Amino acid sequence: MCGIVGCVGHGDDTLDVLLDGLETLEYRGYDSAGVALVGDSLIVKKREGRLERLREAIETSDRPGGTLGIGHTRWSTHGPPTDANAHPHTDESGRVAVVHNGIIENYQPLRDKLEADGVTFTSDTDTEVVPHLIAAFLQDGLDPEAAFRRALDRIEGSYAIAAVVAGDDRIYAARNDSPLVVGVGDGRFYLGSDVPAFLEHTRDVVFLDDGDLVVVDADGWQVTDADGAPAEKEVTTVTWSAEQTGKSGYDHYMLKEIHEQPTALRQGLSGRLDELAGTVSVEELSGIEAPGAVQLVACGTSYHAALYGVELFRQAGIPAQAFLASEYATGPAPVLEDGIVVGVTQSGETADTLSALREAQARGIETLAVTNGVGSTAARECDHALFIRSGPEIGVAATKTFSSQLIALNLLVETLAPGDRGDTRTLVSALRDLPGDIQEVLDETAAETVVEENAGRDAFFFIGRGENFPVALEGALKFKEITYEHAEGFAAGELKHGPLALVTDRTPVFAVVTGNDERARKTIGNVKEVEARDAPVVAVTDGASDVERYADHVLSIPETHPRTAPVLANVQLQLVAYHMANQLGREIDKPRNLAKSVTVE
Amino acid sequence: MPLDSAVVLAAGEGRRLRPLTRYRPKPMLPAANRPILEHVLDALVDAGIDDIHVVVGYRGDRVRDHFGPTYRDRPLTYHTQKKQLGSGHALLRARDALKGDFLVVNGDEIVGSDTVRAVVDVHSPADTCTLAVAESDDAPLYGAVRLEDSTVTELIEKPGSGSYRLLNVGAYAFSPTFLATIDDVEREEGELALTDGISRVMERGGHVRGVRTDGMHSEVTYPWDLLELAATLLSVDASNGVEVSDSASVAEGAALYPPVVIGADAVVEPGAIVGPGTAVGRNATIEAGAVVRRSVVDTDTRVGMNATVVDSITGQSVQIGVGATAPGAPADVRIGNRVHEGVNLGCVLADRVRIGGGATVAPGVLVGPGADVGAGVTLRDNVDEDAEVRG
Repeated sequence: MCGIVGCVGHGDDTLDVLLDGLETLEYRGYDSAGVALVGDSLIVKKREGRLERLREAIETSDRPGGTLGIGHTRWSTHGPPTDANAHPHTDESGRVAVVHNGIIENYQPLRDKLEADGVTFTSDTDTEVVPHLIAAFLQDGLDPEAAFRRALDRIEGSYAIAAVVAGDDRIYAARNDSPLVVGVGDGRFYLGSDVPAFLEHTRDVVFLDDGDLVVVDADGWQVTDADGAPAEKEVTTVTWSAEQTGKSGYDHYMLKEIHEQPTALRQGLSGRLDELAGTVSVEELSGIEAPGAVQLVACGTSYHAALYGVELFRQAGIPAQAFLASEYATGPAPVLEDGIVVGVTQSGETADTLSALREAQARGIETLAVTNGVGSTAARECDHALFIRSGPEIGVAATKTFSSQLIALNLLVETLAPGDRGDTRTLVSALRDLPGDIQEVLDETAAETVVEENAGRDAFFFIGRGENFPVALEGALKFKEITYEHAEGFAAGELKHGPLALVTDRTPVFAVVTGNDERARKTIGNVKEVEARDAPVVAVTDGASDVERYADHVLSIPETHPRTAPVLANVQLQLVAYHMANQLGREIDKPRNLAKSVTVE
Repeated sequence: MPLDSAVVLAAGEGRRLRPLTRYRPKPMLPAANRPILEHVLDALVDAGIDDIHVVVGYRGDRVRDHFGPTYRDRPLTYHTQKKQLGSGHALLRARDALKGDFLVVNGDEIVGSDTVRAVVDVHSPADTCTLAVAESDDAPLYGAVRLEDSTVTELIEKPGSGSYRLLNVGAYAFSPTFLATIDDVEREEGELALTDGISRVMERGGHVRGVRTDGMHSEVTYPWDLLELAATLLSVDASNGVEVSDSASVAEGAALYPPVVIGADAVVEPGAIVGPGTAVGRNATIEAGAVVRRSVVDTDTRVGMNATVVDSITGQSVQIGVGATAPGAPADVRIGNRVHEGVNLGCVLADRVRIGGGATVAPGVLVGPGADVGAGVTLRDNVDEDAEVRG
């Protein structure tokens, strides 16, 4: 998983446009970065490490000139992060430069063949076969576009690739299973793995499909399909503005995005709730029949949202299961004929989730994507798409998009299996109150105090039951992702079946207890179990039960509907993870070894 | 060098506006149904200012969360004033980011774009300072100014009396040398006001230019000033008197009396009567049969069925129960240790107050954030934050 940018038509600003674009894509990877510019000659600059390293390298040497170029920010899959393995990669003569996101599965036989022909490789990457192939076809007398196309014919795997050739004023790019979009400006054109890469310059976007090849120069863009036939493409105007991608004075995107949750949820709910009628209406879902069974597939944080979705479907009387997409893709579960497979993926580009959805489609099963990525692969490939409308999220640790996913799943369940009128009316009111309730949590949270009291402990456990079980899992995941401390989430009732052995006076336990029903009371029983082992207890609660009596600290949430309480509890746990990571001095927006959207399996 | 940078001072709490400012700074209080600061930024953008610096401090997150990194496509650069040590001290937080001449406006007072333009038009590089003045009978109660031709000869804070006819509107242009001048002024108890720097310029014989404007000047000092401000803005802004956001739902059978503005995602149920002089904020709900007149109902607030709210101000996420009553009438209002007599005020309900069904809140009562007033209670005195009041 990597980020790609390209631009033509910017004259002397080309280098800056590329570097700024890469900065917005750093969430896709940040092991190394590089650019290639074409002017009188082809110049490549690349460095291991963060983009700042590349900027430094450029400032301390001759600034590369050029009026078009490509750039790359890398997350290692083949070969360690080194200068040599950084993109762009070039052929032996330095005439061809290539950037690539994805995996070339047949690179070893291609490399063996090229080496047998006398080509010397300078990196360990799979990508390097591409510039050598293009160079070989140029050598055979093909023009650059034909050489690029022939090289694509040879490679198998997933890719978004862009290439430039010295002495040529065009960029050649193609996508197959990895994201690539074209930005259309006035005499200026852009390529990016994602829209924010060029959002500063244009909002007019062409989304490419798998197998598409695009040629971009200062006069325009031309898309052809895999066979070389011209393909008709629509220009879409995205409504995000560049404003939504800055940090607004916060130290970290993660904190900014936690604070954006009231706004994100307002966007996700606007026009979808009818308080007067007490109903939910979602335009995108109008064509879906109530399914006989639901399978949700997802990874990471989205998987926790899927588990929450299962709970909602179950309460609505529809059999539902959640699967880790990486497991489902290679071992799909049987599904009823009138079943539906729902992929939950923030980016809409998560490779594992796409594979699982394709597996379902191949069996003729109806599919639905729940995603933030309008125009994403998942949205376009599935039969239906429900957009969570959270706005772009830059922090690698998902926060606001998780909340938006939970809300979208409520809308989905309420649309497919409406409860009785009174129940839906109560839920609609609770959903409308939710942005204000989150504001209350943000205004009044005691998360910083809890963090100060619990810093330096051995491990951190999170427990919950029912709809709060996914919150416990997500609380632990967020915590471990950004603090690098050991954290685990458990179903509260499972503690005594094993994990309780880990609990000591040095392992704080965060207990999510909302309402005062049987589940809350049973969870309080589990809290007593850990309290008896002297574990510090942090209760995340709406105060309906008496769990506070057994807690050393309380993180309060407003009283609300049982379905919206988990959203509020989760916001408290996001703040706990953030403040702990901040106190430990972690790189919160770019945790080690992780990238935002995982586009490899 | 064109004057296209501005510093907006938005760090202050506004203590006399408590309890409404418990969780947000004064610039984020509602002027009709948008924050005061949003009107200020509009004035700057409309006057062609593209480089905007916002100094935040008290509850600065609320400013950042609302506006994000840009406003109407202009970048906003945030600077933080950790301790609120006066407007001059606040300005110096943005010092390193300023190049060339620049404007300064208060983020907690509405200013018109014509006023901003007037300052931009007359300010010349030879002036250390240019400020906007307006004629007002109330000049002695605010920052009063004497002007000879276009030269400011006297600048005095709240003289209380005297033949002052002009007041300082709070829109300035400065040359870069002003920053060094004000940095040099000795602080009084650590505080440094912008006007201290301007007085210093005058003492040293520098030229301070004044420009007369007739634009709007609205100082919000006490909670009830928000009602007057809303009334003024509604009479100016709400074209044909009734302004309903596209995403709001107003039931047939609800009555809207102009001037009235209904914000995004707000809901007005059948039989509700809203207006005149009323602003309903984003995602607020006026339930069936409720009556809301001459009031500001802020974001996410619910006014319950058949409740009556007159001359009142609610914060965000307030819940007013079924049949609760907040009638308006001239009342004595206690703010801190001072009692203001005969103020036309219903009640002030801070963020997340709950008023139970059938409760009555007497005119002039201030209810602190998060307070929970039980059903049927009659409230005659102010209520503290998070207090529970039972009948």
